[in-house]
Amino acid sequence: MKVCILGFGAVGKGVVKVFSLKKEELKERYGMDLKISAVTDTSGAAICDEGLDSDLLLEVKEETGKVSNYPDYGISGISNLEVLDKADYDCLVEATPTDIEDGEPAKTHILKAFSDGKDVVTSNKGPLALSFKELASSARDNSVKFKFEASVGGAMPVINFAHETLSGCDIDSILGILNGTTNYILSRMAKEGSSYEQILKESQELGIAETNPEQDVEGLDAACKVVILANSLMDMDVSLKDVEITGISKITPESISLAKKEGYLIKLIGEVSSDALEVAPRLVKEGSPFAVEGTLNVATLKTDLAEDVTVVGKGAGSIETASAILSDIISIYKQI
Amino acid sequence: MRLNLVLELLDIPGQLMDVLGPVGKLGANIVTVIHQRDVKTERGTVPVQITIEGDEETLGKVINTLEAQKIQIMEIDGVLRKETITTILIGDIVDKDVKNVLKNFHEVEGVKVADFNLKMSDHPEKSASKFIIEAEYGKRRKIMKKIKEIGTSYGFLVINEV
Repeated sequence: MKVCILGFGAVGKGVVKVFSLKKEELKERYGMDLKISAVTDTSGAAICDEGLDSDLLLEVKEETGKVSNYPDYGISGISNLEVLDKADYDCLVEATPTDIEDGEPAKTHILKAFSDGKDVVTSNKGPLALSFKELASSARDNSVKFKFEASVGGAMPVINFAHETLSGCDIDSILGILNGTTNYILSRMAKEGSSYEQILKESQELGIAETNPEQDVEGLDAACKVVILANSLMDMDVSLKDVEITGISKITPESISLAKKEGYLIKLIGEVSSDALEVAPRLVKEGSPFAVEGTLNVATLKTDLAEDVTVVGKGAGSIETASAILSDIISIYKQI
Repeated sequence: MRLNLVLELLDIPGQLMDVLGPVGKLGANIVTVIHQRDVKTERGTVPVQITIEGDEETLGKVINTLEAQKIQIMEIDGVLRKETITTILIGDIVDKDVKNVLKNFHEVEGVKVADFNLKMSDHPEKSASKFIIEAEYGKRRKIMKKIKEIGTSYGFLVINEV
């Protein structure tokens, strides 16, 4: 199976790393010969139909910052769309930076791969949150597979879990902590009694929060995931603008301490149900499934037959996210 | 003596039997069962009215057994059971007039504010207030929505329970 990876940032690199780590195991377990036929970044691409060397890709990127410096097969200045035409691949891994304004350029990449008859795996929330129906129906029309487990909750299995493991159940609602950065900030505020501003600053220094933390702390990232869950698991047809969003930047130590007295914690909760499509700070009972700390994500699915089912997992991280992408690729391979 | 109960059951096969079985076993007499599957609560559950007969001790055992089985009892002899809802507001409530906020909460049907706590901050807008509300059973979601509307209209950040 040949894979083309667009985007060589944290996620793209994670994917190449797990390919390298698991190559032999995949061959033994599934008889799967996984080859990377192309990788792109802003400098250009490296393309080789017989397969690029994972370790060399990482080394070149690490040392020069440009994948186009890959010996013999590096091409400088080639665009992602040109790469999709030039490279021989079966499955596209779309891992370019997320854009929540128009979902581009990822959306164009994905649609092109579909119309070329290729399967797609992505971690990119932008196009999923803005154009889910369009993408899903294009995949259907072109009879290709489209998987996006990594877009919600990183390594926390929720989409495939609901589709496959809970396939006999109707899902009535989903409630969860869908953003690791805000959970980290709120957990530390609860533990230390410090102010939001102070913990945010420390989180930025630790690399847990981004320099521009708005998408995380104002709830936009979690809202994208709410949309993806609503559309993919509950058959809704909603977009980012349909979500009522409140972030955590106004949470004060005073409110956390009042909550604690009553045995509650404040968490940023995403809700998908028939009467709410929302991201907001909510009170959760200490000791309940939502009382997870650090950057963990959690989701509780209320189902008709199995009642409440809760999953917990690492919500971000290069290797963790790549693990979800790898699972999607394996599941596509098994269906071929 | 007789006891009228309204129970809240999941709309799945076997639920009613799970309730009636233990009631009979404890020696209580089942007088009537009204089970209308098409009438649902806001949670999608079905309210079931049952009337049982027996001595006081037996009926007490029945209530305990039902509760131990996590079967929700909405009403006993026409008296609605209460549940508590905790809500936190962030914002300068002193400036916005505590009295009016409390009054507005009280005006919501089925609501009684049972406790109120205030934690002031050096920055008044960062102050937090906590309300513990007693609500009629089964109206939780509706009441939480209403509380949020009221709080938001005063410019507070409303933090409701999950």
